[in-house]
Amino acid sequence: MAAFVIRRLLWLPILLFFVSLITFALGVYGPGDPIKVLLGIRANPETIERLRHEYGFDQPFHIQYLRYVANALQGNFGYSLVKYRDQPVGGLIAHALPVTIQLNLVAIFLGLGIGVPLGLLAGLKRDTWIDLLIRGLVIAGISLPIIFLNPVLTFIFSRRHDIVLTAANLRFSIGPLLPMVQGYWDGIFSAKVILPAFIESLGIIAVMTRQMRAGMIEVLSEDYIRTARAKGLRERVVIVRHAMRNALIPIATILGLMMGGLVAGSFLVENWFGVPGVGALAFDALFSRDYYITMALVLLIAVAYVLSNLLVDLTYGLLDPRIRKA
Amino acid sequence: MSKSESAGGNRWLIGVIVILLVALCGAVCVGGGVLYFLTQPEANPFAQGGPSTGATPGRQAAPTAARPPATGDRAILRLPGGTDPRTLDPAQVNDTNAGEYVAEIFSGLVALDKDLKVVPDIAEKWEVSEDRKTYTFYLRKEVKFHDGRPVTAQDFKYSIERVANPATLSPTAENYLGDIVGVREKLSRKAAEVSGVQVVDDYTLKITIDAPKSYFLAKLTFPTAYVVDKNNVERGGRTWTDKPNGTGAFKLKEYVRGQRIILAKNENYYGEVKPKLEEVQFILSGGSAMTMYENGDLESVYVTISDIERIQDPNSPLNKELYIGPSLSTGFIVFNTRKPPFDDAKVRQAFAYAIDRQRVIDVVYRKMPLVAITILPPGMPGYAEPANPNPYDPAKAKQLLAESKYAGKLPDITWTTIGAGGSAAQNVQVMVSMLQQNLGARISIQQTDDASFFNTIDDPTKNPYQMFDVGWAADYVDPQNFLDILFRSTSTQNWASYANPEVDKLLDQAAVEKDNAARFKSYQQVEQMILTDAPVIPLTHSREYWLTKPYVKGMIYPAMIIPRLKYISIER
Repeated sequence: MAAFVIRRLLWLPILLFFVSLITFALGVYGPGDPIKVLLGIRANPETIERLRHEYGFDQPFHIQYLRYVANALQGNFGYSLVKYRDQPVGGLIAHALPVTIQLNLVAIFLGLGIGVPLGLLAGLKRDTWIDLLIRGLVIAGISLPIIFLNPVLTFIFSRRHDIVLTAANLRFSIGPLLPMVQGYWDGIFSAKVILPAFIESLGIIAVMTRQMRAGMIEVLSEDYIRTARAKGLRERVVIVRHAMRNALIPIATILGLMMGGLVAGSFLVENWFGVPGVGALAFDALFSRDYYITMALVLLIAVAYVLSNLLVDLTYGLLDPRIRKA
Repeated sequence: MSKSESAGGNRWLIGVIVILLVALCGAVCVGGGVLYFLTQPEANPFAQGGPSTGATPGRQAAPTAARPPATGDRAILRLPGGTDPRTLDPAQVNDTNAGEYVAEIFSGLVALDKDLKVVPDIAEKWEVSEDRKTYTFYLRKEVKFHDGRPVTAQDFKYSIERVANPATLSPTAENYLGDIVGVREKLSRKAAEVSGVQVVDDYTLKITIDAPKSYFLAKLTFPTAYVVDKNNVERGGRTWTDKPNGTGAFKLKEYVRGQRIILAKNENYYGEVKPKLEEVQFILSGGSAMTMYENGDLESVYVTISDIERIQDPNSPLNKELYIGPSLSTGFIVFNTRKPPFDDAKVRQAFAYAIDRQRVIDVVYRKMPLVAITILPPGMPGYAEPANPNPYDPAKAKQLLAESKYAGKLPDITWTTIGAGGSAAQNVQVMVSMLQQNLGARISIQQTDDASFFNTIDDPTKNPYQMFDVGWAADYVDPQNFLDILFRSTSTQNWASYANPEVDKLLDQAAVEKDNAARFKSYQQVEQMILTDAPVIPLTHSREYWLTKPYVKGMIYPAMIIPRLKYISIER
């Protein structure tokens, strides 16, 4: 077991080496240049040359890369070049990371809370209209692009809607629900979290629903379910105690894998709703070629995925002795 | 798998699942709470100010949006802040977004007043030597930093030395202080000190420049030349501007990245115009500024093109709150004169006559900017009203094209523009179809992101773009800032690769001309020559559209970075 963990962890530096090398090369050789973004339209060759020299961007690639690695190993991930000029990258990430983790936790929570019951229901009512409806909704939800959902949902919640039902002689107004769309990000206990979390949870709902449905269908065809029913157990007991619990196992795996994604923020959602998280930071960094920020974020996400995969494998090992021995 | 094993294994598995789920719930509740606490202003590394300036108490539980707090009877001005400023360090400022804050927190020897004239600021007066290369500034004696330390000539010496120190990595050192003798030497590590800056006594500073330059004082109004506190900079390290100790009319009270910047009145401000507002809150990001204004959450807001029609309706209550101000800028269509077919002036002239600028502005821009016929924007000294307000003439355009060497064989043209997405900017599309209709030109539109765009046009000798559109806003109020910088054959910003020896000669003359009237006359002559050669087509002079609540008095919307908040008061 310990050997397994150590072996896996030994891969981490190798992976980080390649990830950092590729990202760094993209930063150095890719189109655009942070110095020119910083100087903008007023760039003069003298200033460009001076800043490139002072930052060491005129050095050969391997020198630049090795210097970055040496600094990074000492915990110095550089300073923002353009967007948050001279702020330490570590500090910027420390500020953005909690925001994204919170938002993603809420999204995962929503995804579980909505997806699992929906999948359960769809699996139980397989091939009925309920199943079809749920599957249709889930497909619609995951298919609607975020770039479409952002403005549409914002529009819906920022206006007053007068609803008139002549048949029922009803007439009422909804909205505008401004707390949901106005103001700056104020943590996950404010109404501002609802729309971004909901939009981010759509994908999770889809995965959870499909997994839960497939799991239920598979489990329900197992011999032990037939045995349980033959024993004369009540259907509710069969479903809850025998079927559902087994169908939930793969959900745990998916959840584990999602933990790696906790640190990665959504570009589109965070930017649209003004969530000052990792996604918004990465977006700013990419568009201003602020590549020390990009580097640090890529490394962070890589580490998070490696660790969460390791965690999942370990859990598997605990769940299934066959893997532990391998 | 035997039955007993499966049952035992199951129970075990169920346990794990339950634990995972409970752990997740726990993580959400506890972790969320802890992380939320960490992001509170008191605990996060970007928050400014003492504990009293922190978060509003008790908002954790309240399911309301983070609206800017109601101001009650206090003189608080709430403005939309847009995106975070890149920096609050005067040596690093090179855009108006950051400049707006820095000009309030810091100040320098000279400043621009409301009419964009250079006026005394920390320097109460100055003398210019006979050869017009040495400036002697006499400082006011009562000026203090926010922490109470008096400002002396040494502080200015330190501030200029700091900008010229290559380790400061200032992006504006050459542009704004490069005229001072010794600055370039220090920047390139050839000298340890800036020889052109001398402290005569505590309140007298002598600055020597390399040649007589009538726009030098105007350059000193830019933040690069502001005074900073040595102790503040050296103790604060690279992030010293988290707690800036400036000299301006306002102090930084609180800055929460991505949320708000709060400036508070500097009670000891030295200027004649004292700040009247207790506090100014800039709300960063956070939804539609227009909606916030209409809900009374902001005192002033910029108007975007989507709202302009409803606000310009005289029946709209907002119409009375509308202010339209100039911004010293010009949008251009640029022809690369090294690339066919634009190496022929007749083709460029034909294009200029074939575009109905007024119609583009009426239809696409909803009349928000002014149509530009001249290079210099209105409000710039030396600006001359154009004789012909819209030289649209398709017949003349056709004739010019027929006279050119590309008559009947105009090559395909690519117009490069900043943008992304399915359809290019409407203005470009409209103009392309005008050129197609009037001249039969086949023009395709190529979109690119701004980082790549500026990276490409940056070197005019290598720029592959045939035709593109770009804007220029004044750095300082002098025609030199447009005509010399954009059209001198050796300039980096000579996007069109325009080379006219006569223009260069006139620009040289104008640069050293003592008499302003004669100088502006030379610049007008230069402008006429350029417009005739048509390396660019001026298209728009932008204007600022702002709404302001009636109880806000003295609001100004300057076209340049100037300390403006001190003029504003709230009278309910």
